[in-house]
Amino acid sequence: MLERLGQKLILKVGQLGPVPVAFDLVTVIMCLIVSAILVLLALWFRRAIPADPEAPLNRRAAFLVGALDFFREQLLGGFPRELAQRLFPLITTLFLYVLLSNWISVIPGAQSPTQNEQVTLGFAFMVYFLSHYYAIRTKGARSHFRGYLEPYPFLLPMNVIGDFGRTLSHGFRLFGNIFGGAILTAIFLNLVARIITAVPVAIPFGLVFGVGLGTFLNAWFGVFIGAVQALVFALLASVYIRLTTA
Amino acid sequence: MNISGEHLVDAVKYLAAGIAMGLGAIGPAIGEGIAAAHALDGMARQPEMEPALLRTMIIGQAITESTGIYSLIVAIILLFVV
Repeated sequence: MLERLGQKLILKVGQLGPVPVAFDLVTVIMCLIVSAILVLLALWFRRAIPADPEAPLNRRAAFLVGALDFFREQLLGGFPRELAQRLFPLITTLFLYVLLSNWISVIPGAQSPTQNEQVTLGFAFMVYFLSHYYAIRTKGARSHFRGYLEPYPFLLPMNVIGDFGRTLSHGFRLFGNIFGGAILTAIFLNLVARIITAVPVAIPFGLVFGVGLGTFLNAWFGVFIGAVQALVFALLASVYIRLTTA
Repeated sequence: MNISGEHLVDAVKYLAAGIAMGLGAIGPAIGEGIAAAHALDGMARQPEMEPALLRTMIIGQAITESTGIYSLIVAIILLFVV
């Protein structure tokens, strides 16, 4: 029942020293599909921006303005102005990408890229390195790395490990939520299928029930939990970057 | 029916995954409930603070959830990797 979840189409490329290099083709293709959808949406919305700034907004442009204001308010509210300006494209892109990655599993047969721990950990480590980059840009390398010796120099390992653990849990949180939802959906639908096959009289009733349950679980885990987790992922990314730059 | 060592390992594996997930879910559930309760208290007292409270609550709950996620990871490793 759960074998299908772990199913991967692995493309082995070669060996990099002791580490085998391989691509999970399903995840790569789903990532590319999500990226393509986002790029197409961006181009479609861009065409709606009127060339004349004084012109009245049409529907799409008004939606765009509203959505960007919402993101700025929700994801970067209370940030220093300059930092918010610099982080806005990154955090919004992260949010939209994760959101669409989570939502795409609603399509039957499609697999969320965020169901793969390597994708989410990749995002988390991107945020980790970017937070160091922004911290060095704003504070200077000396004062940034001296922050690791606070409050006492012998706490240096604790600070480094804490930073690292934060990043790991950032990545695993998204993966665990999405993958856990996929497992629960599979288990519930399998349960319904077993009950149906055990009681032949219940087949028509069970089919309706199964389809309804499948739709509900997809809506709950895909749409609702997916949106909440995308918001949490982007929020935590912005908070982590802000904490390191502060 | 003869039971070999492999069957025993499989059985204990599933049992361990279930126990890990079940016990690990208790803590985050209680913690998130407490966070939501206090956020609701605050919202009822000061409705104009609702957006800020909601955002902070969601961040806090997401961090509280970490321990539950860890036990989920352990359960997944037990099921698929071990």
